[in-house]
Amino acid sequence: MDRRSFVIGTTASAAALATGSAFAQETYPTRTITIINAFPPGGVNDLVTRPVAASLEQIFKHPVVVDTKAGAGGQIGAQVASAAKPDGYSLLSHNNGISGYAEVDKLFGRAPKTTRADFIPLARLVADPVVVLVNDQQPYKTLKEFVDDAKKKPDTIVYSSGGLYGATHIPVVLFEKAVGGLKLRHLPTNGGGPAITSVLGNNAQLTVQTVSASLSHVKSGKLRALAILADQRSKALPDVPTMKELGYDLEYYLWVGLFAPKGTPANIVSTLVDAIGKAANTDQFKTAITNIGLDVGYQNAADFAKFWEIDAKRSDEAVLAIGKQG
Amino acid sequence: MESTLVSLLHGFSVAFEPINLWYAFIGCLIGTLVGVLPGIGPLSGISILLPITFGLNATQAVIMLAGIYYGSQYGGSTTSILMRIPGEASSVMTCVDGYAMAQRGRAGSALCIAAVGSFIAGTFGIVMLTVVAPPLATLALKFGPPEYTALLTLGLIFLAYMSSSSLIRTLLMACTGLMLGMIGIDNMTGHFRYSFDLVELGDGIGIVPVAVGLFGLGEILSTPSKNVTGKVMAPKLRELLPTTQEWREAAMPIARGSVLGFIIGIIPGSAHIISSFLSYALEKKLSKHPEQFGHGAVAGVAGPESANNSASTGAFVPMLALGIPTGPITAVLIGALMVHGVSAGPQLVTEHPDVFWGFVASMYVGNLMLLLLNLPLVGMFVSVLRIPYAYLYPLIIMFCIIGVYEVSHSIVDVWIMLIMGVFGYGLRKFGFDPAPLVLGLVIAPLFEQSLRQSLIMSNGDYLIFFSRPIALGLMLVCIALLAMSALSFFLKRNDWRTKLAVAEAGET
Repeated sequence: MDRRSFVIGTTASAAALATGSAFAQETYPTRTITIINAFPPGGVNDLVTRPVAASLEQIFKHPVVVDTKAGAGGQIGAQVASAAKPDGYSLLSHNNGISGYAEVDKLFGRAPKTTRADFIPLARLVADPVVVLVNDQQPYKTLKEFVDDAKKKPDTIVYSSGGLYGATHIPVVLFEKAVGGLKLRHLPTNGGGPAITSVLGNNAQLTVQTVSASLSHVKSGKLRALAILADQRSKALPDVPTMKELGYDLEYYLWVGLFAPKGTPANIVSTLVDAIGKAANTDQFKTAITNIGLDVGYQNAADFAKFWEIDAKRSDEAVLAIGKQG
Repeated sequence: MESTLVSLLHGFSVAFEPINLWYAFIGCLIGTLVGVLPGIGPLSGISILLPITFGLNATQAVIMLAGIYYGSQYGGSTTSILMRIPGEASSVMTCVDGYAMAQRGRAGSALCIAAVGSFIAGTFGIVMLTVVAPPLATLALKFGPPEYTALLTLGLIFLAYMSSSSLIRTLLMACTGLMLGMIGIDNMTGHFRYSFDLVELGDGIGIVPVAVGLFGLGEILSTPSKNVTGKVMAPKLRELLPTTQEWREAAMPIARGSVLGFIIGIIPGSAHIISSFLSYALEKKLSKHPEQFGHGAVAGVAGPESANNSASTGAFVPMLALGIPTGPITAVLIGALMVHGVSAGPQLVTEHPDVFWGFVASMYVGNLMLLLLNLPLVGMFVSVLRIPYAYLYPLIIMFCIIGVYEVSHSIVDVWIMLIMGVFGYGLRKFGFDPAPLVLGLVIAPLFEQSLRQSLIMSNGDYLIFFSRPIALGLMLVCIALLAMSALSFFLKRNDWRTKLAVAEAGET
């Protein structure tokens, strides 16, 4: 080996080393990304998060795993994610629930464990509008009939929800406020499934659930949809009028979004936002979402942040209206 | 009826396709393992394997996942009988008499009876599912909060029959369990109760960590202070099989357990957990020798093991016929179907007959597979007892910790299990039976929720429990049971429990 080749060799390897380290910085990710899912397996969050993880895996060429940290209405997952190292390797899949914890904690005089400021919104993946449903033993064919009758007998008609301050409780409270002078009785259950079951069995008369959760019961005639809280009619339920058509300015969606913990570097956030945007646009993801009866409701980080702001205001308003029970 | 038979035959043609047979076998095998491993319950087993099924078709996915579910009910009895560790919440009762039988050297017999009982109950459940699913499902919807409250009231009364120790000790344990059940978020007001600022306690104290800690760890911790001679049980092959006498004692409890379990299984909610408790109490109440319960009564194994199996099959009725989940496990199964674009519900039979009937038929096949899988394993499982304690027990503790952690990925659960282990050790030393505590813990949150929901429905009127037919019927049974007990109390007839208390007092 003569001196020249030695010099060239060293320079080359030094250059390789230099680009190597620059390369490592540029190409986040370099290892497995974990998406913390705050809700149990088999639920909408799980069914939406898994396909997006699979698509992200193909984009990043690194494993993307879903880690279930369910419990306490999604609070455990949110808390775990907010405490995770903000390096882009721990993300959070959450839904409407993430908006309300701080406000509820305030109501009870507890120090909030997580606030909205703890999370950076990356993308909204789906947004499933909710529908006002009554069972087939109720005489109401339209929302007006229901409102007129319910006003005559305040605190008599029972509605079921998946839980206090939850995503199927809040829209009913918003509806009560919008109508004015409407008072329904609340029957909290422990989840969307039990809430629907109690209406099917006429232990409650009304519930507000997502299109995907209630579609099969509406089709079989066991439940009747009176109105949808969306900006336009649903393709799956074209006969159901929107609240706007009926004169109430109400929209409410059960959405699933991805978040990064506060403090995640901006360049990593933008890499993630781009990648999730691509992932949400793959046929693979779209098919998976259509299969579970949903439409892809993708919003990029900026739009989602705006949407979240409005949605969270609605949620805060409803939580205050519900107040402290008992 | 005829069309049902034709459809079922079609279902068998689907189920017997080699690939479907294979997935049923895999499901049953994993289910057995999940059941055998302490702590890891069917829910975590199914959740872990759910992503794998995304690559299969809907029929294969549901066949395999359901296999895990009902398979785990078979396996759950194994560790209960051999080591007093409940594999799942539903096999807590088997820990009592199953373990007592094992200590008398009848481990093989107990395992055989549990397997055969599970097979009969499972098959009974599927026959019922095939024949009467739609009308029964509609009936299940009638089971609202007031009916639930009445059923759980019955459960509370049965608590008194749960234990072989004195009534006061039993009630003390039951009350402790009920109080532990109060921990967690109050569903009606959103308050955190007794949670010490731990969000993990928001959903209450899990049944699995408590059951594994009290029974399994408590037993292990108490071993060093016992006279262990190092001699381990080594049953001969002949001793593995139940005697004719034992079969005779098991027959009726299996039959009753099957029916009871199925009825409780179809109720939406988490009622299926109490099926084995109720069956145990029922057998004890009906038995001519209630004093044998707790000391290795065959009926105390046969009844609850059959009940939990037919309850797990019963849980499929509302899921398949109405598309409503009866509990977290069926919710995951519905989710697995939805991934493939199949929605469970009334239209499942007409829209996807292959999935529906293939699934039903696969359960017939799966139950047979489980029996064939489990009976030969009895000998092997019993051999586990030959392993010296010094090697066996650390292994078990390790499995307990992994299993309990896996339930909800929570280290808090592991701490609960360890604390309960120490508590269970204390209970064992002082002769308290932990079974009523576990039942109390199971009942408390369900009872509280359904009671308060009922009162919301009636606007505070307690007559709601007596104005709905099913609730009224259950309440009348409760009243009758209490009246009978009161009567015998006033007649000063020393029943077996007071005799036992006297005997106990004499002992100490």
